Amino acid sequence: MHILDTEGLTKRFPTVTALDGLTVTTGPGVTGLVGANGAGKSTLIKILLGLLPPTAGGARVLGLDVTTRGADIRRLVGYMPEHECLPPDVSATELVVHLARMSGLPRTAARERAADVLRHVGLAEERYRPIGGYSTGMKQRVKLAQALVHDPKLILLDEPTNGLDPRGRDEMLTLIRRIGAEFGISVLVTSHLLGELERVCDHVIVIDAGRLLRSSAIGEFTQATRSVTVEVDEGTQALAERLAELGHGVAPHGRMLLVEVTGPDTLDAIRDATADLGLCLIRLERGRQRIEDVFRETAGV
Amino acid sequence: MSEIYDIGYRHYDGPRLGRGHTTRALAVHSLRGVFGLGRPARSKLVPFSLAAIMVLPAIVSIAIMALMRRAGMSYSGYAVIMQAVVAIFLAAQAPTVVAPDLRFRVLPLYLSRPVTITEYVGAKVVAMTVALYALLAVPLTVMFAGELLIDLPGPPRTKEYVGAMLTGLLLAVLLAAFGLAIASLTPRRGLGVASVIALYLLASASVPIMYSTLLSAGNDAAARWAWLLNPFWLVDAVQVWVFGTTPNSEGGYPGGPVSFVIVVLLIAAAMAALALRYRKAASR
Repeated sequence: MHILDTEGLTKRFPTVTALDGLTVTTGPGVTGLVGANGAGKSTLIKILLGLLPPTAGGARVLGLDVTTRGADIRRLVGYMPEHECLPPDVSATELVVHLARMSGLPRTAARERAADVLRHVGLAEERYRPIGGYSTGMKQRVKLAQALVHDPKLILLDEPTNGLDPRGRDEMLTLIRRIGAEFGISVLVTSHLLGELERVCDHVIVIDAGRLLRSSAIGEFTQATRSVTVEVDEGTQALAERLAELGHGVAPHGRMLLVEVTGPDTLDAIRDATADLGLCLIRLERGRQRIEDVFRETAGV
Repeated sequence: MSEIYDIGYRHYDGPRLGRGHTTRALAVHSLRGVFGLGRPARSKLVPFSLAAIMVLPAIVSIAIMALMRRAGMSYSGYAVIMQAVVAIFLAAQAPTVVAPDLRFRVLPLYLSRPVTITEYVGAKVVAMTVALYALLAVPLTVMFAGELLIDLPGPPRTKEYVGAMLTGLLLAVLLAAFGLAIASLTPRRGLGVASVIALYLLASASVPIMYSTLLSAGNDAAARWAWLLNPFWLVDAVQVWVFGTTPNSEGGYPGGPVSFVIVVLLIAAAMAALALRYRKAASR
């Protein structure tokens, strides 16, 4: 079954077109939705929640039509907004219990689920203190907990790593991976950084100005990056010349070299060349594709 | 040494209750918020002090009945006499019901659940109505219980008590709808408090002045209409029309159902304002 599918989905506001004929399907697992700010990610999420009627086309979530079955969708889906949405004067426990009840859970079940979920997102004793005193990372965890508390089939996470420091980002991404893999809940996570989603997603959708740029499994994205970054202590120039002689595509990139990979033998050639020249190899890294690369590729095609 | 085992994620396969349950839970949650229950002691101070002040005259009245063997305060005039306390309660507590969800943008967390905006607003109005009604009904009931226990000569004033209880409900709905409509216009709590109290002061201070001015101009009929500008006297006029009680204003009110029609129109207007306000808030 498709977790969500859209068909020619279009949303026009008086001044802008937020989504323009978007047709995309995703299966279970973690799906990344990537696009620059204003690409239409948040609009898409609102439509998927059945809170915003599409101008044209249609969309289904868990097989339910967004225009007619909105309430049923919202019963089965969790949503973590991008913006701050937590009242400062209540504790995390109190808020999450209350929101669980708003999803239809009976009082005792709401308490149990809230305690469980807050533990899973990593909030310990502090969950009894008012949210006003929490750090950004803790607030993001509370926002995630309220999206999970009613055990949804799918959660929609709008920019969950926004405002987090590198460590908080890592922890949030690990958590998202766990939700998709261990909890068995499908995830749609938006970000404006493709590199960040590479780590956690099974499938990535890239949109720009409301249009689909690309939708493919994560493996295809990494396959597409046919370059490695090579950094040597000294003799970068010599290495570049040697590799060029051997017929490899080499481009200098600051102190490093970008080498085009045509097959496993390219990596062997780099290894042999550095060894022959007696250079100290510091880094040999598969090129990380960023959103700009996808834009460039698509523009090229 | 004890150790906490991570038993992993557990799915929920228990019941998921419907709209009735969620709306009731939200109303109870909001009602607890009005009285500061489940909040720090600081939040309980204002609502409970005001509730205590509301009960004081009832207790004094019972003392008068017991010691002096004569009828205490009238039931029908209780709301009008205590109107300042009720108004302060409304001004202080109505913003706590609506402002935080708007200010801290909690509303999307409700709307991404099966809760609709109509149910949300409905639950808030019910919570505020129940709070205001409790404020009015508790002293009336305490006083009535006292009257029955003391057993004054002559029949108990049951009809007047019942009438006051029913008009109290009408007053609670009117004040709740209006107070929330005004408070929801601003996400800042302080501004909400100030707006409600300012509007009440305007209505309560200007009305007697208008009345006496019109009266001295010799326009008796128009003067009586002035009372209807204040919600407490307006609802008292309904009570006079329905239950035939003594008016709690100088010179009485315009007769007939006109006051009731005005109350109904005002409630409808306040509800419409709330609906418009929240339709806008929901689309943000």
